[in-house]
Amino acid sequence: MRSKLFLPITTALFLLAVLAHLGFFEWDRLARGFRNLTILGAEMVPPDMSILPTASAALWETVEMSFAGTLLGFLAALPLSILATRRLFSDWISRLARFVAAGIRTIPVLLAAIVFVILVGLGPLAGTFGIAAYTVGYLAKIYADLFEGTDPEIIEAVQSTGASKLQLVRYVIVPETANAILAQVLFMLEYNIRASSILGFVGAGGLGLVIQIYLQNLNYRRLATVLLLVLIIVLLMDGISAWLRKKFLLSTQGT
Amino acid sequence: MNENGNAPIALNAEQVWFSYPHRGAVLKNVSLSIPAGKHTVIMGPSGTGKTTLLRVLAGILKPSRGRITVFDQPVAGRSQREMSSLIGYIPQQLGLVRNLSALDNVLMGALGRLGDTKTLLGLFPRQEINAAHAALDMMGIDHKSAEQVFHLSGGERQRVAIARTLLQRPRIVIADEFASDLDLAMAYEILGRIRSAAARENLTFIMSMHRVGLARTFGDGVLALQNGEIMRGFIGNEIIETAQEAATL
Repeated sequence: MRSKLFLPITTALFLLAVLAHLGFFEWDRLARGFRNLTILGAEMVPPDMSILPTASAALWETVEMSFAGTLLGFLAALPLSILATRRLFSDWISRLARFVAAGIRTIPVLLAAIVFVILVGLGPLAGTFGIAAYTVGYLAKIYADLFEGTDPEIIEAVQSTGASKLQLVRYVIVPETANAILAQVLFMLEYNIRASSILGFVGAGGLGLVIQIYLQNLNYRRLATVLLLVLIIVLLMDGISAWLRKKFLLSTQGT
Repeated sequence: MNENGNAPIALNAEQVWFSYPHRGAVLKNVSLSIPAGKHTVIMGPSGTGKTTLLRVLAGILKPSRGRITVFDQPVAGRSQREMSSLIGYIPQQLGLVRNLSALDNVLMGALGRLGDTKTLLGLFPRQEINAAHAALDMMGIDHKSAEQVFHLSGGERQRVAIARTLLQRPRIVIADEFASDLDLAMAYEILGRIRSAAARENLTFIMSMHRVGLARTFGDGVLALQNGEIMRGFIGNEIIETAQEAATL
């Protein structure tokens, strides 16, 4: 009984302590925040549509960065995740590949963007590389786990036809995991579009710069326009990826 | 020719032991001879090591002790690619790739003798494609060659799996619990097709089964496996009795 309650009770106490430390129980501060929200909301309407051409150009840059970064990252993640698949390669090769992927993954996308701004200069190219780097780290890990989960019976059956490792990848592992490969890359694209809209904060191109300027100038009506654009593009992406999933993903039920 | 002057021996196991890590022996001192060009059925209660025996015979698992020869050549030390020209293996769940078409799955049988360069681009020589269609046709399923395996029924999948192994052109086919999930009429039809294909290609078949009727029709000989040991091996007339005994073990 005691051991059963120990974990939930300590977790709850710890949460309360942390919230208190973070200022969660300063009621007048929260009330002020709520008042400010209504003021901010009021200052955001009506959105200022005059900046639409500027914002649209920046938005397009964000979309380009996310699209290119995601695909480049995806292309780099495939071989890395194949090397990281223990079923195919020796222990030390897969460990090394996993270590590389983990190393890349520890760098937050914003930090990666800063590094690439230093390396290749200001602008969307740095953002594209930053997104690609983050995508490699994430997808390589997910795909390696996915590939290792391939039904061993199928691998054995095709291996016994004398197929090489590369042939196994081409004819068993990739087709068997195609659904999840596509689903993950679409997820990554959606994620990167959201993430890349703030990369401009560090000079890596896209919407971020515009957002930063309007925030600093307290130009909330213009900011509202930008946020609406982000909302539209995210909804659009959701729609496109839903359509892609429906068109290409097979249901594997009933097998 | 073996000492009885019958068919030559396709596959021979001598005092084979096998155990998985951290578990007791699954195969205990198994010795058996599979006559070439015949259909040998392995029967026995579930959990007795039939699948393990077949996987060891197919060269997928290495025996902990003992010796296996295929047409008098030792199996130990051979690469999977070398083995593929001798033995084709069909696991219980068939090991088909569901997202690919029946034809693509059959073509995988040819991967062992084709290089990486073209096959990785999905290109197969015309003659292999024709041979794949012929194999599907032999199993009576060529009209569904373009369908994804995913959309095929259980019986259709069994036909595709056999066609893949036919294209591999091994000398011995080892199939685990083949036709076990099918209704009888379908199982008879498929096994009949296998018999005629095997006769044409001079194949040796080793199958584990648990249905006596099927074993009687399909098998030329039956081996009974119990608790990892071969209890009996019979050829010919005694098959019915043995099969029935094996099923009740």
